[in-house]
This record gives sequence, structure tokens and C-alpha cells, in this order.
Amino acid sequence: MPDRIRIEKACKHFGTLKALNNVSLSVRAGETLVIIGPSGSGKSTLLRSVNRLEALSSGDIWIDDDHVSNDGANIRRIREEVGMVFQDFNLFPHLTVAQNIELAPVRVKKLKRSQARERAVELLARVGLAEKHDALPGQLSGGQKQRVAIARALAMDPKVMLFDEPTSALDPEMVKEVLDVMLDLAKGGMTMMVVTHEMGFARAAADRVVFMDQGEIIEEGTPEQFFTAARNERTVKFLAHIL
Amino acid sequence: MGDLAKLLHEFGPAFIHAALITWKLTIISYSLGVLLGIALTVLRVLPIKPLKVLVGAYVEFFRNIPSVALLIIIVFALPDLNVLIDYEPSVIVALVLVCSAFTADNLRSGINTVEAGQIEASYSLGMSLFKTMYDIVLPQALRAIVQPMTSLLIGLMLSTAIASQVPVPHRELTGLVDMINNETASGILTFAITAAFYIGTGLVISWAGAALDKKARILR
Amino acid sequence: MSTKSAEEALFENPDRRTRALIRVGTAIAALAMLALIAAIVLRFYQAGQLAPRYWEFFAWGSTWKFLLSGLIGTLASAAMAAAIALTVGLVFMAGRLSKIWPIRWAAVALIEFFRGVPSLLLIYFCFLILPSLGFKMSSYWMVTLPIGLNTAAVVAEVYRSGVLAVPRGQRDAAVSLALNGWQTFFDVIFPQAIRYVVPSLLAQLVIVVKDTTFGYVVTYGELMQNAKVLVANYNSLVPVYLIVAVIYCLLNYSLSKTSRALNNRMGAPATLSKAGGRLNRHAG
Repeated sequence: MPDRIRIEKACKHFGTLKALNNVSLSVRAGETLVIIGPSGSGKSTLLRSVNRLEALSSGDIWIDDDHVSNDGANIRRIREEVGMVFQDFNLFPHLTVAQNIELAPVRVKKLKRSQARERAVELLARVGLAEKHDALPGQLSGGQKQRVAIARALAMDPKVMLFDEPTSALDPEMVKEVLDVMLDLAKGGMTMMVVTHEMGFARAAADRVVFMDQGEIIEEGTPEQFFTAARNERTVKFLAHIL
Repeated sequence: MGDLAKLLHEFGPAFIHAALITWKLTIISYSLGVLLGIALTVLRVLPIKPLKVLVGAYVEFFRNIPSVALLIIIVFALPDLNVLIDYEPSVIVALVLVCSAFTADNLRSGINTVEAGQIEASYSLGMSLFKTMYDIVLPQALRAIVQPMTSLLIGLMLSTAIASQVPVPHRELTGLVDMINNETASGILTFAITAAFYIGTGLVISWAGAALDKKARILR
Repeated sequence: MSTKSAEEALFENPDRRTRALIRVGTAIAALAMLALIAAIVLRFYQAGQLAPRYWEFFAWGSTWKFLLSGLIGTLASAAMAAAIALTVGLVFMAGRLSKIWPIRWAAVALIEFFRGVPSLLLIYFCFLILPSLGFKMSSYWMVTLPIGLNTAAVVAEVYRSGVLAVPRGQRDAAVSLALNGWQTFFDVIFPQAIRYVVPSLLAQLVIVVKDTTFGYVVTYGELMQNAKVLVANYNSLVPVYLIVAVIYCLLNYSLSKTSRALNNRMGAPATLSKAGGRLNRHAG
């Protein structure tokens, strides 16, 4: 299967701080990649580089054959193909749930509002929130907000979905509803890069797991390899902390 | 009671006229001040350092200087710099400068009530800077500033009293008190009527602002 | 995660074209700024305002002593007005929160009255109207009392918003500890309310200082009045008013800055900052 995402020798400095140090990684089409690691390991930075929320200091990223560059039009085009879900949901509080989902398709993809509305209804049903159509984000629980956020990203019909610690800000009883949606998405063949601490999800959905620390990839492997026979000492230590 | 009737008979029209002047000064200064304030905020939000510094200094200067001191500078000191502005325009200029500084400050605060994460989310969806400003930032910023901008309008109306300090061709309410007091002995009544105009206008604006704010409030 | 502001996020990680525009824009803006400063200095020069006779008296101690006494006059009036505002404001607030409706109505009326009229009008009342009724006041009180009462009305609302921002649970806790009404208010609620509103109160102090400028109307020796005397004596309008404007700005700026710094540290709850917008009616 072809590479959907190709990251080559990615470096990112914040002043003297090296957030990413020569990271190279590929994600095949339809693959679900889970990235784990301690805070400050650069995993968020890596994820955000894929949709150019962060600009690399050096190195290259390709989405299919599209190079992620510094050109404005190119960046916007890439972002139409790459969807992102944030830890803090970041729903637009002044718009209803339906309007949140419809906004970008209408404004960016120039869809007619009725078409966007149809798609929104479809996606809401898919994430299990059909009846929350006209609700405002302020009226939803954390888990519901995140599911709306996922629907909003999916409304753009992306080739890739990026998840930046999607359940870290949720109360424990709401984590499952979000992970279920993500699992569903993975099984449906979406190419996904997920930064998370939820090892259960990694075991169930990941094709590969990557461990990052201090801006570098330390170890890579299938979930079974990782959780039963991790080779690197730092990986083992980290897993011991969280499992 | 007889005094009141006499006062109204003699000065009724003058009161109305003065009230209209007060409202006129308020509306003109507020409109121009808000427009200028918006322009300043646009300049301030741009990632250009000299502009941020310049607008920042402007805002701090005109927020902290007493309006009447500013008026006196414009009317009495500027002619020495060969800048001659007529009396009533001077009042408007002073009020516009102060109003623009407060507006710029309020609008900037309003913009910053929007969480950075929403802007990132908007960009992630492929929205451009302009679309993000138009659909995400401004709707929320404008809702957030209804209350401070209502207070500013009322404050500006009360500040029109500084016009009484320079020989403007048409007296506003406070200037009228000065004049009437020179000509009659019904000081308290004059004062009461003038106060009623100010308070009444203030309450109407306050009520309208509160209604607008209620409509604008987003459920959090 | 990040404490970025919207302002920062809008232009973060710009694309190539935006970066170029920013560079060009910065260069143009810097040049424009320099041109502006040059134009102002040039205008001063052409109008002869840079001539020594307009500035030389600033080298004399007596000038600064006179300005300083003006500043002290400003601060004296401001301090007393603030004291009046803080105490009378408390009384107004107590009236506003009273369960007895005539008291509450009277308090509301007084508050709406004193903050609904310009302070200059109140000063005129003391200056023009009271004397004809037989009330004699020193110029100091003609400025300080009106400003004090005007600000008291605003302070009353500031106090009230602080009290309303104290979490409900505090009263519940106090009551369940068998504290009575007064104790609950003065030992539990009010101290917390005060801590929330200190930044707003400081912002009101800035307004008080700005209002003391009207002292020149009643020839009370505050900064503006003394400036006028200097102007009359040395016929030097621009430099004197410029210096005085700078002094006012520095004074108020430091008060505002302290207020903002305290606001960050004390972290007033969200409800309070919304109320704060409603309170600050002064445009100067």
C-alpha cells in the first residue's frame, strides 16, 4: 500500500529548544498510527507539522504527492485534505452544532448550504448525536463536544485524520464514547495519526505504535511487539509508568 | 412650582436646544471615535512591531489624559503650533481621540476573549485568515464588547460637559447651567432639570445596551 | 496547554507570502514612525516653540516646585475623594442590598443620580449654586466632595458585583457554622468580594485623578490650575501643557498598570469581568 504521509528528517527548533530532531516516519493509506511518549517529547509538534500549524525548521512532509510547503494556497489545500481533532475540542461557541459542522464545507469547499446540511446530519448520526443538531456547544458534555469536533473535521472529507490527545481533557466516563467513534473510523479504513495515552485504544485500533522521547523516535512496532516485548530501555520505562 | 413653570417658560426651549447639542456632540464623537478605534485595532492586531508600539502608546496616552486637559491643549496650545481648530470641532476632536483609545482597547480585549484554539481549529479546516476573522473572531468579539461599549457611550455623553469650558457657539447642558445661573436665582431647579436630562438619557442607553447584550450573550 | 492569545494565534507560523508582507510592512511602519516624529519636531521648530525662552524656566527649581505643589494638590484631592468614595460607596451598597424596599429604592435612586450626571455638573452645583443658598465651601471641597460622591456611586456597584461574584457555597458554609448575618457578610463574603474588585477600584482611582483636573474651574491649586498660572506667567503654552499632559499620563498609567497586574494575579472570576464593563462609564 502506498505511503499517505511521508515525514523525512523533520527538525523543529523553538529558540534553543529542539522539539523535533531528525524525525522520519511514514504512514500508509488506511493505516492507524498511534504515537505515545512523555510530555515534551515532540509528539504534538510532529502532528501539528502535518497540517502546518507548526512550520518545520528543516525537513519535508508529503501528503500523498503533495509537499507541505510555505505557500499559502498549498497550505490551505493540504488542510482541506487533513482533518484535526484537538484536546480542547475548540468548537465555535457562537454557532450551533450543525453550523459548526457546516461552516468550513460552505466557506472553503463552496458547498451549497443544503448539501452541507445533509452531510452534517449524516455525520451527526454517525457519531451518535443526531438529536443535538441545533444545540449550542455550551450545552454539551465533554464527550459530546469531542464527537461533534470529529464530525466537524470529517465534514471536509479528509484523506487523513490527526488526533492530538483527543481524550485527555475528558472525564473518565466519557472517554469510551469518543474512542468508540475513533475505532469505528479506523476500522472503516481512514488513515489516522493519533497522539494518546489510551493504551486500550492502541491495542484495539493501531496498526503501528511509535514511541517518542525528546524529539526523536525511540522505537516503532506493532502493538503486540510494543506491549509485550519492547526493546528499548526508555520505552520499557515509559510503558511501566502508564500501564 | 411657580418657579418651575417660570423657569420652563423662559428657558424651556434653551433646555431642549442644549440637550440636542449634547446628544449631537455625543453621537458625532462616538461614531467617529468608534470608527477610528476599529481602524486602530486592525493596525494593532497586525504582526508589525512598530505599529503595535505606536498604537499601544496612542491608546495609553489618550486613555490616561483627562479629557478637559486634552481640550485645553487643543484649544489653547495648538494655535502656538499653527494648528487652529474652531471651538466646537475642538471638543469633538478631543472626545473622538479619547473615545477611539477606549474603543481600541475594548475591541482588542474582545478579540482576545476568543480562545487561540478556535483559531487553530479554523485554520485546520482550511479557512483563511479573513474567513476566520469574519466567521469566528469578530462575531464573538463584538458580542463580548457590548457592555463596555455601552458604558463608553454613556461616559462620552457625560464628558460632553467639557464643552462648557470653551466658548462654543451653542451651549450644551452643563454650559447652560452656567448661563442660567448668571441670569436667574433658580439654581437648584436648573440643576435638577439638567440632571434629569443626563440621567434620563443615560438610563435609556443603559437599558438598550442591556437588551442588546442579553440577545448577544452566548450560552457558555 | 498553551496560553496563547487570539492575537498571537492569528498570525502564527505565516506562509511565505505573509512573512514577506510582514517584513515589508514592518520596514514601512518603522519609517513612517520616524517620519511622524520628524514632522512633529519640525512643526515645533517652525512655530518657534523650540526657542529657549519657552523652555528655560523649566531649569529653575521654583517651576518644578510649583508643579509639584500642583501635583500634591491633585493627589490630596484624589486621595480624599477616594476615601469618600470607598466609605460612602459601602453605605450605598449596603442600601442597595437591603431587604427593606424603601431603603433599597432610595439607594438605587442615589446611585443612579450620582453616577448619571457629569462630575463637572456636580462641581458647578457646589461652585455656583450652593453659595447662593448660603453654603460656603473651600475650593478643595468643591472639587473633592462632588468627585467623591460621583465615584461612590460607581464604587457601590463595583462592591456589589464583587459580592455577587462570591460563590454561593460560601454563604452556605458560613450559615452552617452558625455565623449570623453580619458575621457572614463582614467575615466571609465581603473580604472575598474586596479581593476580587481591587483592580476595578484602582481603575476608578484613575478616573478620580482625571476628574480632579476640574479643580482649575474653582481655582483649586491642583496640577491643571498651577499649569494655567505658569502659562500666564511665562506665556509658554505648548511646553507647559505638554509637560503637564505627560505627568498626568505617567501618573494614571502607573495606576492602570498596577490595576492590570493585580487583575492578573487575583484572577477575578469570569462573571466579574463582564460586570466590570458595565461599571466603567468614564471616557475621561
